[in-house]
Amino acid sequence: MINEPDSRDLLTEARQVLLDSLVPDLAGEQKYQALMIANAMGMAIREIEQRAQGEPDATDRSLSQFLAGHQLPDDPSQGEQTLARALRDRRLDGDDPELRSVLKGMTEARLRINNPGFLK
Amino acid sequence: MSALADTFSNFIVRQTGARNARVIDFSKLSGGAIQDNFGLTLELEGGDRPGRQEFVVRQDAPSGVAESLSRPEEFRVLQAAFGAGVTAPEPLWLCEDAEVSGRIFYVMSRASGTASPRKLVKGDLTDDQRRHLVRRLGAELARLHTVRPPMDSLAFLEMPTGSNPALSRVALYRRYLEEIGEPHPVLEWALNWLEDHAPEPGPTVLCHCDFRTGNYMVDGDELTAVLDWEFAAWSDPCEDLGWLCCRSWRFGGDDREVGGVGDKDDLLASYREVSGADIDPAAVSYWEVMALVRWAMIALQQARRHMSGEQRSLELALTGRMVAQMEYDLLNQIPELEEGQ
Repeated sequence: MINEPDSRDLLTEARQVLLDSLVPDLAGEQKYQALMIANAMGMAIREIEQRAQGEPDATDRSLSQFLAGHQLPDDPSQGEQTLARALRDRRLDGDDPELRSVLKGMTEARLRINNPGFLK
Repeated sequence: MSALADTFSNFIVRQTGARNARVIDFSKLSGGAIQDNFGLTLELEGGDRPGRQEFVVRQDAPSGVAESLSRPEEFRVLQAAFGAGVTAPEPLWLCEDAEVSGRIFYVMSRASGTASPRKLVKGDLTDDQRRHLVRRLGAELARLHTVRPPMDSLAFLEMPTGSNPALSRVALYRRYLEEIGEPHPVLEWALNWLEDHAPEPGPTVLCHCDFRTGNYMVDGDELTAVLDWEFAAWSDPCEDLGWLCCRSWRFGGDDREVGGVGDKDDLLASYREVSGADIDPAAVSYWEVMALVRWAMIALQQARRHMSGEQRSLELALTGRMVAQMEYDLLNQIPELEEGQ
């Protein structure tokens, strides 16, 4: 089923109307709330865009490779759970650069959606 | 609102022995999901405090959360801090009779200035003014940390379990993560690091546990009041120092490690002058890492409150999405500390 303009387009336009036409007339608590709404919409837009670009699959793949290389089960839907559990159980070396790189990759993927401006 | 103003005004008349009181201003103050804060300005005739008086009345909000101190407990913490010379609002009267206003409340003096982090961090303070303020923050913490257990009036505060408060925190946060149920490998990794690098514990002292930019009032370059005492606990002095310096509380002034205001050297020098205690900067750095983990835990819990339907709120939902920021800071800060060693 084609239904256009698509959700990304709708959200992008709605957010722009909010920021360009409504926010300038608001103050105090109402302005704060409107900016929170724009922030939430921005995250939703970026999440749709990242998914279209193959994220979070790329991050999941590197996690999956890491788990396989450490003899840990790599059920794709449970990757983070497995990694968290292995760390809790002290089955991984926290200094391992490969581990740190996987952790950083996962975190950067989240920030590209939640707050790209935070990435240095 | 005006009925509530009269209720508080009448209460203050009884406490001060005033003949009469006129309400000049009454308004709800911003901040605090757990408490309602009201500003109340009265013109009092006679009694202990005649003339124009500005008060803050703090009472539980309808949707109270059980995790922090109750109003009576907070009042006693405030008394202990104020008594130790901390620049805090003067705690005046506690009303434990819920019949009076419908809820338990207390009255304190109102400080001048603003607690707004943006105004402070982005403001036009000179370097000297910033240094002055940072030294003041160190002095305030040094005075607070002279309050030590046991204290009868603070018997409700639990003593840290185990011999090292840092390791107690690690165990607590692991339990929180279990309860939250969502996997967070970066936080697990950071908790392992915190377990392996715990410094020698300092003395057990009264800690504010939310001492950061945004929770103290500033008028010009003068600190006028340390606010928000509901998380106070017995802990290691470095927990407060680390929380104040944590990257999450610099509000865009990232290179000024003390709350976006100034330098850690000035903070610790002033702390030493007032307390006589030489704090190891490495221990403060360690507790900054702990602070990132703690803030991540709080953010996860807030998001859960939204998702569970207990308190649907866009603000709580967005706070949940901030956790990746703390995780990113952890992934940068821990290697930086290792390189510095």
